[in-house]
Amino acid sequence: MTQNEWLALAPFIIVSTLAILIVVVDMIRPGRDHLAAVIGAVGVLVAMGATIAAGPIGGLGGLPPEGMALFGGVYVRDGMTAFLDLLFLGIALLTILFAPDYLIPRKLPVPEFVSVLLFAVAGAMLLGGGRDLLILFLGLELLVLPGYLLAGFSKRDGLSTEGAIKYFLLGSFSSAILLFGLVFVFGYTGTTNVAEIGDRLAAIASGDAPLPVALGMGMALVLTGAAFKIAAVPFHYWTPDAYQGSPTPVTGYLSVGPKVAAFALVLRLFMEALGPVRADWWVLIGVLAAITMTVGNLAALGQDNIKRMLAYSSIAHTGYIMVGLAVAGGATDPEVAASGVQGILFYGFAYAAMNLGAFAVVAALQHRPGVTSQISSFAGLGRRAPILAVAMTLFLLSLVGIPPTAGFFGKAVIVIAAVEGGGLLTLLAVVIMLNAAAAAFYYLRVVVVMYMRDPAENAKPVDVGGWTRLGLIVAGAATIAIGLIPAVTGAALDWTLEAAKTIAGL
Amino acid sequence: MSQSLDAYLLLAAGLFAIGTFGFLAKRNAIAMLMSIELMLNAVNLAIVAFALFTPSLGAQGSVIALFVMAVAAAEATVGLAIVIAIYRNRRTPLVDEYASMRE
Repeated sequence: MTQNEWLALAPFIIVSTLAILIVVVDMIRPGRDHLAAVIGAVGVLVAMGATIAAGPIGGLGGLPPEGMALFGGVYVRDGMTAFLDLLFLGIALLTILFAPDYLIPRKLPVPEFVSVLLFAVAGAMLLGGGRDLLILFLGLELLVLPGYLLAGFSKRDGLSTEGAIKYFLLGSFSSAILLFGLVFVFGYTGTTNVAEIGDRLAAIASGDAPLPVALGMGMALVLTGAAFKIAAVPFHYWTPDAYQGSPTPVTGYLSVGPKVAAFALVLRLFMEALGPVRADWWVLIGVLAAITMTVGNLAALGQDNIKRMLAYSSIAHTGYIMVGLAVAGGATDPEVAASGVQGILFYGFAYAAMNLGAFAVVAALQHRPGVTSQISSFAGLGRRAPILAVAMTLFLLSLVGIPPTAGFFGKAVIVIAAVEGGGLLTLLAVVIMLNAAAAAFYYLRVVVVMYMRDPAENAKPVDVGGWTRLGLIVAGAATIAIGLIPAVTGAALDWTLEAAKTIAGL
Repeated sequence: MSQSLDAYLLLAAGLFAIGTFGFLAKRNAIAMLMSIELMLNAVNLAIVAFALFTPSLGAQGSVIALFVMAVAAAEATVGLAIVIAIYRNRRTPLVDEYASMRE
């Protein structure tokens, strides 16, 4: 292998080695919780450094700007891969920072948590760069199998295992459906290479070859399986239980990591492999997006448990991101299609920071074992823990999409792209705006409880651990900086657009 | 042995449908796990059939089938671990009794 090939693979190798290293360290020195978290966090930072050193990110990085294909094109490191890798590593870093203060009081092993999490992130990174159906499938399984384990991490807790089994059963059911669809795509196009599948389908789309019925069926199965993975309505039933039952830092991770990774898979499959037949799927995605965000928001309105509420709200956010996909598929102007993909990436970035931050505050409140995740436990937080309350308010305002926060620009990019797309896409932009207004109600209800309700008589002081504090600073700084500092916003917008344009055909 | 690809694909689709039905109809977590395995076996049958009837896919198909088997084994391991964990908590394998989180 040449030096550049090693450079392109370095982030992936570092993360997988790190996961194994932590298992080994835990074997030699068992039960060192803080040590494992430090190794994990430092290792992830090193992997981020390696990603930047490899690039290609703008003018940075040692690889050529057009990217680099490895192993005959099954793994590609281009602008998109670099962006997604950094995003996944950022999610891993924040999750590692938030976990110890929740896990240690409950006597849950941190080394195992960090190791399993890093395996999942390695799977996500494989999805980010995979250009081959087999690699994409393996990446997906490497992402979700550790995810099931994390959901059931608190194995003596009935809720955690219940969430895990629901997540597992529906997750592997959907994996089987997705795989069955992929097999038909493979069998009828005669290749597993994403770009070659695109070429074969281009011939079908231009009328040179007929569309085999079984291939159409395969694409429908792929769409169904992918919709399960991103938790789009009506394939979302596993989400609330899996999110509510999981230990809170895991919930935070599950609500962003697998979701963004599943969108990476969807981008590769739909924009590159099924790109030539996009006229056949974008309306369906658009309709699913509208239903998904509406159902998610309406269900979130009635929740009393904050984890369950954020679970339904994450379904709504899936809907917003899917609008980006609909724009990417439905816009006739390639510039607008590119800004749809840009919307997906930018929203994923903003959503990761603000949602992980919100879950971190929930986890900090539950620092003491036994504290439930009812919204009423936030009562009087404005006086009991002013800084925590301010942080939560910031994250919730960002989730609503109020300027000057990251969430505002996330929604803005998608809405502007949808309006530029015209026709049905404009209608989707209207649906987003209506939904954002409805969502404000249940997010701001938490703010009202925090500042305008008296704390319960027996409320104990909230002590925020050092790890959580560090993580909250990172998440809060990202949420504010993207929204408030024009230079950062501009850089993030440029970067996501550049990454979006590496998708073939844009 | 049939000489037609469609016959194998129909068989695979039939197996897949049986697995899907089993997953949706059964209430026992172990039986649901078995149904998922059946679905994955249907997938493997389809892969091998494609590999047999399309010469250019020969070697590739076999390798993919092996990978799918490995993934299925990993999935079964994780699944059984979770089933055992919840059985210890609830003393039942029936999924409709796992309903402590309802709004």
